[in-house]
Order: sequence, then C-alpha cells, then structure tokens
Amino acid sequence: MNIERKRKIEGVVALTLSTLAAACGLFWLVFILGDVLVHGIGALKPALFLNDPVPAGMAGGGLRNAFVGQLMITACATLIGVPVGVLGGTFLAEYAKRTVFARVISVLADIIVSVPSIVIGTFIYALLVRPVHHFSGWAGAFALSLIMIPVVLRTTEDMLSMVPWTLREAAFALGAPYYKVIVQIVYRGAATGILTGVLLSIARVAGETAPLLFTSFNNNFFSTNMNEPVASLTVTIFQYAMGPYEDWHSQAWAAAFVITLFILVLTLAGKLVLKWRYKQ
Amino acid sequence: MEVQTVTPPIEIEVKNLNFYYNGTIRALQGINLPVYKNSVTALIGPSGCGKTTLLRCFNRMHDLYPKHRYEGEILFRDGNLLADKVDLINLRSRIGMVFQKPTPFPMTIAENIAYGLRLKGITNRSELAGRIEKALKHAALWEEVRGKMNASAYELSGGQQQRLVIARALAVEPEVLLFDEPTSALDPISTAKIEELVSDLKKYVTIIIVTHNMQQAARVSDMTGFLYMGDLIEFGSTEKIFTNPDKKQTDDYITGRFG
Repeated sequence: MNIERKRKIEGVVALTLSTLAAACGLFWLVFILGDVLVHGIGALKPALFLNDPVPAGMAGGGLRNAFVGQLMITACATLIGVPVGVLGGTFLAEYAKRTVFARVISVLADIIVSVPSIVIGTFIYALLVRPVHHFSGWAGAFALSLIMIPVVLRTTEDMLSMVPWTLREAAFALGAPYYKVIVQIVYRGAATGILTGVLLSIARVAGETAPLLFTSFNNNFFSTNMNEPVASLTVTIFQYAMGPYEDWHSQAWAAAFVITLFILVLTLAGKLVLKWRYKQ
Repeated sequence: MEVQTVTPPIEIEVKNLNFYYNGTIRALQGINLPVYKNSVTALIGPSGCGKTTLLRCFNRMHDLYPKHRYEGEILFRDGNLLADKVDLINLRSRIGMVFQKPTPFPMTIAENIAYGLRLKGITNRSELAGRIEKALKHAALWEEVRGKMNASAYELSGGQQQRLVIARALAVEPEVLLFDEPTSALDPISTAKIEELVSDLKKYVTIIIVTHNMQQAARVSDMTGFLYMGDLIEFGSTEKIFTNPDKKQTDDYITGRFG
C-alpha cells in the first residue's frame, strides 16, 4: 500500500471517529432537553407561573413562589458578585499587574471555580445560617455570589489584559489619570467580553442546588423576605422529584425545562455578544 | 553651526541626559540637544539606538514603568520637565504624542477628539463641536469624516485613524507634538498625507519625530539628530546631515553602509 493511500485512510478514520464522538455528545444534549420537555409539557401552563403551591397531594397549584425566589436570589447574588468580581479583576489586571500577589490570587480564583459548590454552601451555612439559627434568602444569595466572584474576576482580568497596552499609553499621553484610563478607555474596550463573563456566571449559578439547600433552603409559601427561607426552582425540583405525587413530578419536569431554557438562552446570549464584538 | 542665518527660539533643551531602564541598563548617555520652536526635529538611527527612548523622555512616558531613571535636565518653558514635582497630567496635555500604530479609542470619531478636551474640563457642547471641527481641519481629516462624526473610529482606514489620532492630540492645543514612527504601519499614500501634515503642522506646534525612514526625515524635518547606541552622534540642520555630515558614522548610516 502506498503512503498516500495510507494517509487518506488515516484521514477518513480520524474524521469518522471525531464525527461519531461529536454526534454522541450532541445526542445526549438533545435527548435530555427533549425528555425534560416531553415530561414537563403537561405542567407548562400559565398556572405554573401564577399560582403558589397547594397542599401536598391536592391537584393544581403552581411554582410562583419558586420562580420569584429564584429570581430574587440570583439577582441579589449578581448585585453582590459582579461589582466585587469586576473590581477585583481590574485590580489584578491593572494595578497589581505582573506581581506575585496577582498571580497567586488568579490561581486561587481558578481553584475556587472548581471547588464543589456544596462546600461553598456548607461554608455559608456555618457563617450566616448557624449563628442566626435560621435559613435566609440572603445566605443563598451570598453563597451564589461566592461562586460568581471568581468567574467574573478571572474573565474581567483576561478581558482587560487583552486591551492593547498602546491604547492605555495613548490615553496617558493625552494627560489622563490612571483611573480615568481604566474607566473610560479600558472598560469600553473590554465591555463586551466582561458582559459575556457576567452572563455566563449568572448561567452558572442559576442552576446550582447544593449551595441553596444549606442556605436559603425552601419555602412552600410565597415570600419576598430575604431574611427568611426563600423558595428556589432548583431546590423545589429536588424536593418535588423526590416526592410521591404525580403532580409534583410533572411540575418538577416543567421547572427543570424552564431553568434549562433560561441557562441555554443566557449562554447563547453570552456567545452572541462575543461574536458580535469580534465581527466589528 | 553656521547652518541657519536666523536661529528660531529654543522650545526645549536637553542637557546631559542619561536614561536607565531597570535602574542599571543605560539606554541614553550624555544627550545634548536643542529643539527649536515651530520646527520639525527628526531623530534617526538604527533599531535600538535609543531614538524612541529619547522621544518618550519628553512626555515622561517612562514614568508608567517601574525602575526607570533619568539623569540630567530637559528644559521646557518654566523649568526642568524631569523634576519630581512636575505634574505629569499637565505636562502630557502640553506635550502630546502620536504612536507607531494608530490608537483610536473604542468610541465615535467625535468622542475620540472630545476625550482630551473633556480631560481639560471643557464640557460645553458648542465649544466642543467647534474645537473638534478645528482639530479635524488641522489634521486634514474634516472633509472625509464630517458626515459621520458619530460612527465608530474603527470604521476609518489605518491612515485616517492615524490622522484622527493626530487631530485628537492637536485638539488639546499642545505646545509640542511627539511622533513615534507615525507612518511605519501605513501604506505609501497614507504616509504621504501624514508627511505633508507634519510639515504643515509646525505652524501651530513644535514637532519631534522619530523615524526609521531616512527619506522621510529628509522630507519633513528642519533639524536632524542621529543617534547610535544611546549616543547622539551628530545634530544639525537636516540639509547638512544629509549632504555633508561632520561624522563618518553619520555618513555611513545615511548612505546605507550600516543600520
């Protein structure tokens, strides 16, 4: 067999294997999304979003409390996590650039990103739940913000570092002080990248269950009090899926579909923002 | 020097300047150089000779990096601009700089020019508009961009971007403008436009230009300094440097025997 023919066969084999692997990954993704939709579609009706849960075993009811609670906790986590993450990333990329300290923080942030989220949950439990003897929405928001911070921090650091140094020099050369160079020039240059990081970090925490189980816990009633236990979709899904009632199961499927869709949309938005930026 | 019959006033005078990177690496030694008002002074020399290093002393760009060290003096108007007490923000608004690659900010054409003006505290809309137009006219860009002031600066071509950056530097009405190889990233037509502009602009500002391109130095400058390995080998009128230099090293360089 001549060498050219051999190479051609090797190429075909490599292409086949990688195509099969991609198809395999894609199959499960579509399968999960489809399966969740098929099981949840029966419960996907306005009542799911507009009604609160009814007593266990009764038909009807909805998950308004969980949708609202999830939004509150995620929004508060974002409000805490994004400013800390962006400012921290700014410190690392601008003020502490090329220092050992910045390297250490970066590496630690990378490690925290991969710490199991239940560890974060129990940490906040010990810090904010144990001392006051009750679960609270704030504890949940803090737990989620702890997961967001390293993600936002590292994205911000990377995005700021990608802004060419000459752009900063040009601003300095016009007589701009450093903080104005950062806020008015560097942030603008890195805005879409940072926004993508923020969207992806929200998507990351929106699907978390373990940290909430130890912090905001759950609430069968509608509540907007962040000092009390607050319902969340993920914990509700966990509880309903474990429960014995058919209604609970279909509502859990529906909730799972909604939250999966939410994360999918957020992730796609993040990717689109990036793509839009690099087309310019 | 019997090069010029009437010597214009000196805008900047470099006296015994030494410059060190990292505290110990000497990049410039014993530089003495007058920069005449409303003239174009070119700094030429092979790569690594220190011409850009010298240029970046004038607006204290080195201060952005740790472990730099200046020795000697650069006299500008009321004193030594290398002194510790000099306010760099003020200095840099009086001595502007244009870089090798165009550096438009990620904003609209109008905002790019307004940026330096806003830094100076000018916020009045009509005053900003007037100054923007004036700067763009001086940079020979007005006719090309007047209809699209709110377009992104990145939509302009490389040559237009470089003229925009020049307009931005001119808008704050500096007394001196530094050019660091302003055409090395541009095509020949854009280069010609920038060169023409540099010659025109000396009506308004004193210009110091670093260039790799000797023909460019010969075309745009009045005075030329030749640097080699951190020394200012020779300084004189451009005509003399390019036709009848005193030093052999200068002659070798401009005739292309080395560098």
